[in-house]
Amino acid sequence: MTETAKATPDGEVRTSMYRVVIRASIDTVWSELIRTDRPLPFFFGGQYDTPGLKPGAPFAMRTPDGQFTLAMGEVIEFDPPHRYAHTFRFTTSDDPVSVVRYVLKEVEGGTEFTLINEHPASDPVSKSEKQMAQGAKFIGDNLKSVVETGKATFGGRMMLFMFSLMAPMTPKAARSEHWPLDRAPKP
Amino acid sequence: MMSPESMDAVFQALGNAQRRRMLDHVKNHPGCSVGEVAAGFDVSRVAVMRHLTVLEEAGLLISEKRGRTRHLYMNAVPIQMIHDRWASEYSAMWAGRTLDIKYLAEQRAAADGWDAGSGEGPARTGEAND
Repeated sequence: MTETAKATPDGEVRTSMYRVVIRASIDTVWSELIRTDRPLPFFFGGQYDTPGLKPGAPFAMRTPDGQFTLAMGEVIEFDPPHRYAHTFRFTTSDDPVSVVRYVLKEVEGGTEFTLINEHPASDPVSKSEKQMAQGAKFIGDNLKSVVETGKATFGGRMMLFMFSLMAPMTPKAARSEHWPLDRAPKP
Repeated sequence: MMSPESMDAVFQALGNAQRRRMLDHVKNHPGCSVGEVAAGFDVSRVAVMRHLTVLEEAGLLISEKRGRTRHLYMNAVPIQMIHDRWASEYSAMWAGRTLDIKYLAEQRAAADGWDAGSGEGPARTGEAND
């Protein structure tokens, strides 16, 4: 495994990793990870808006009603059912673009799922990096729960509920009309 | 859900002060090498390797070999699973508030020169309100 050796154009990256073994086949985990046909409980309840996940394709994670956009990215790597990577930036921050990689591996008893977050090291620990550290644990935990039990974790369900309550308070800047797909952050 | 065996492994790995400090080091220096961890501890490299293996087998460390060097990263997922088992979003909020008060008050007590011995845990300096 050499994925953490890859640097962003910004040079040095700070890498964090989150790993969990999921009791499901690699194909099941993969298909949950890349679902574009419904909101993803492990992605803050956002739903993909994309012409199709493949290298170079942009995507937006929008609220199920399409009104708000949580984050945008561009697919860097798409190699089913083992590797998927994309750029990532929350719409509500001006932080540098980071990279999220997902690595799936068949192991005894299921699938080893690793989420790797690479953040430009030149940037002091930013608000979105902290959010992503929270988010990465959340994604690992919830993807496991969704695949194994068909349900998000209690925390995940609670967070989705909170998000639905917060929708009216979501900043205007996050309204989807400001976030056409061509604003996806380049790697 | 975590299997009972996996949970045993996590608690066993954490049930040692030196291993906890090694985990602190890796957390604060993601991607560090075994040698860098060993430099901070007054024990043999073999002993350090043994501790790191225990942490890795418990899933608390992820190690990646690049060239001749192994790079270490902390994996927070097992800790999050322990948290999920006993804490709810609701209790986490109030427990978090409780700890914020503790950190703030202890920071002030320390600034006032009040010494109740040193504890173990996250060094919280000025970010209790995050």
